[in-house]
Amino acid sequence: MLVFAAAASGQADDGHTIVQNGRAFHPGEVTIAHGDTLSFANQDEFIHQIYVKSDAMTFDSDEQPPGQTVQLKFPTAGTFEVHCHIHPKMALVVHVK
Amino acid sequence: MHIGPEIGTQGQHLRISVLALAILGGAVFAAPALADAPAPSALDNGMAMFDSGKLLATGGVTNVEGAGGGGLATWALITGYGTDNGVGVDAHYTYVGLSDYNLQTVGVAIGVMDRVELSYAWSAFDTQQTGAALGLGKGFTFHQNIAGLKVKLFGDAIYDQDAWWPQISAGAQYKATDRSAVIAFVGGKSHDGVDVYLTGTKLFLAQSLLVDITLRETKANQLGFLGFGGDKSNGYSTQFEGSAAYLFRRNLALGAEFRTKPDNLSIAKEDAAFDVFAAYFLNKNFSLTLAYVNLGNIVIHDNQQGVYASLQAGF
Amino acid sequence: MRFFTVAAFVLACAGATPAFADDDSLFQDLGGRDVIEKIAQYTAANFLADPRIKATFDDTNMERFEKLLSAQFCVVAGGPCEYKGRSMKDAHRALGLDNADFNAVVEDLQDALDKAGVPFATQNRFLARLAPMQHDIVTK
Repeated sequence: MLVFAAAASGQADDGHTIVQNGRAFHPGEVTIAHGDTLSFANQDEFIHQIYVKSDAMTFDSDEQPPGQTVQLKFPTAGTFEVHCHIHPKMALVVHVK
Repeated sequence: MHIGPEIGTQGQHLRISVLALAILGGAVFAAPALADAPAPSALDNGMAMFDSGKLLATGGVTNVEGAGGGGLATWALITGYGTDNGVGVDAHYTYVGLSDYNLQTVGVAIGVMDRVELSYAWSAFDTQQTGAALGLGKGFTFHQNIAGLKVKLFGDAIYDQDAWWPQISAGAQYKATDRSAVIAFVGGKSHDGVDVYLTGTKLFLAQSLLVDITLRETKANQLGFLGFGGDKSNGYSTQFEGSAAYLFRRNLALGAEFRTKPDNLSIAKEDAAFDVFAAYFLNKNFSLTLAYVNLGNIVIHDNQQGVYASLQAGF
Repeated sequence: MRFFTVAAFVLACAGATPAFADDDSLFQDLGGRDVIEKIAQYTAANFLADPRIKATFDDTNMERFEKLLSAQFCVVAGGPCEYKGRSMKDAHRALGLDNADFNAVVEDLQDALDKAGVPFATQNRFLARLAPMQHDIVTK
C-alpha cells in the first residue's frame, strides 16, 4: 500500500488515475479520450465504491476497501458523472472526447 | 440554601452558599456551549470542557462525606458529567433527620477528566434535645470540614461489560471537627483525622445492577463528629461500606447500602449504618435521593433512624 | 460466559461472524428482525437529528448505514443475520471519536429502543453487548 501511495502521490499524474481521499475524488474533473480507462485508487481510510448511471453507460462497482483500485473504461464520448453510493456528496465529472 | 441558625458561623454559611450558587450559575452559561454555535469564542472554548458527555446517573450521587458515590458508601465512579476529556462539577445539600439528632451537609465536588475527583463538604451534626440531656445545651451542634481526593486507578464501570474486573479508585479524606473540648471529654483523641479508602464499583449492565464495595482505613468516631481515635482504641481500623443498586429506568435507581464504623469510644458503642434508597435523576443537572437510613446507636440513643434527603445540582 | 464473550469480540474484530448466534434469546426478546430493523431506523434518524454527532453523517448514505446497523444489531442480539460491514475499529478509526461522541450514540440508541417499545431491562442486556465496542470505536 505504501509503494502504491508513493506511485500515485495523491494526484492524477498520468491523467488517468483518480485518487479517492478525504471522501472526495482528486481531481474532481477530468478530460479523456473515448476508449480510455480511468483507475480509481482508494487512498482514503474509508470504504468507497464507484457507479455511473446514464443512458450511454452504466457501471456499478463492488465495495472498494482502502488500498484497492477499480478500473473503469469510457468507450463513448460525452460527459459523465461518477459517484460513490456510500458517500452521496462525492462526484467526479468526466469529459470524454 | 437555608441552614438552621445554630449551625456554624455566618461567614461559613455565606461562603458555602456563594460557592454553590456560583456552580449552579455556571450551569446556565455552560448550556450554550452544548448547542450548535456559529463562531466559538474564547468563552465557548473554555466552557466546552464542561462537556456533560457522561451518560445519565454515571457519576453517582454524593454521599455523607461529600464524595461521589451512593448515600453512605463511596464509589469508584468520578463525580460529575465530564468525560475523560472534560470536567464536571456539582454541589449538593443533604438533610438526615434521625429520631434524636439531625445531620446536614453541603458541599461541592469536581471531576477532572474522569480520573480525579476533588470534594469539599461542610457538615453539621445537631444534637437537638439530646444536647440538653448531655449538659451541652439544646441544639448543640458539631461542625466538620471534609476535604476529599479520589483517583481512578483502573477499569471503567460502564464500558468494561466484557470484563470481570470492577472500576477501582483510591481516595483520602481529611476531616476536621470543632468542639475539641467535648471530643476530649467523651474520650476522643483528636479533633481531626485522615481516612483512606479503596473502592471497587461494577455495573452489571446486562442485569441492570450496580455493585460497590469499599474498604476504608479510619479512626473516625461517628463519621468524625466525635473526633478521631478513642480511649477504647486509638489505631486505624479497617471498615467496609457497600451498595447494591438496581436501575429501573435511565433516571431511577433503587438500592441498599451498609457502612461499618469503628468502635473507639468506651462512652457508647457504635453500630454499622444501613439505608435503602431511591435516586432520581431529573436530567444531567439535578438529582434527588431519598432514603430510609438507620445509623444505629449514637451516644445515649439507640436505633437512630429516619429520612435521608439529598439534592445534587451540577453538570 | 466471559471466555465466550471475549472470543466473540476477537472474532468480530477479525471480521468473522461473532459467536452470539448460539443463543438467540435476546434477539427474540427484542422482538425479532422486524423490531430490530425499526430500532436501526429510529437510531439512524436520531443520529441525524443529534447536534452533537450529526456532522459525522454529513456525507453518508443513510440507507446503506441503516442496513449495516440493522445487521450489526441482529448479529449482536444473537439473531440469524450476517454482518458484512467492516470491523468497528476499521470503520471508525478515521473519525477520531471520543467518549462524548460514543455516549451521544448510546443515548440516541436508548431513545430508539424506547420508541420501539423495548423494556428497559432488555435494553440493558442489548447495550451490555454493545458497550465494549467503545474500546474499538473511541480513539480520542
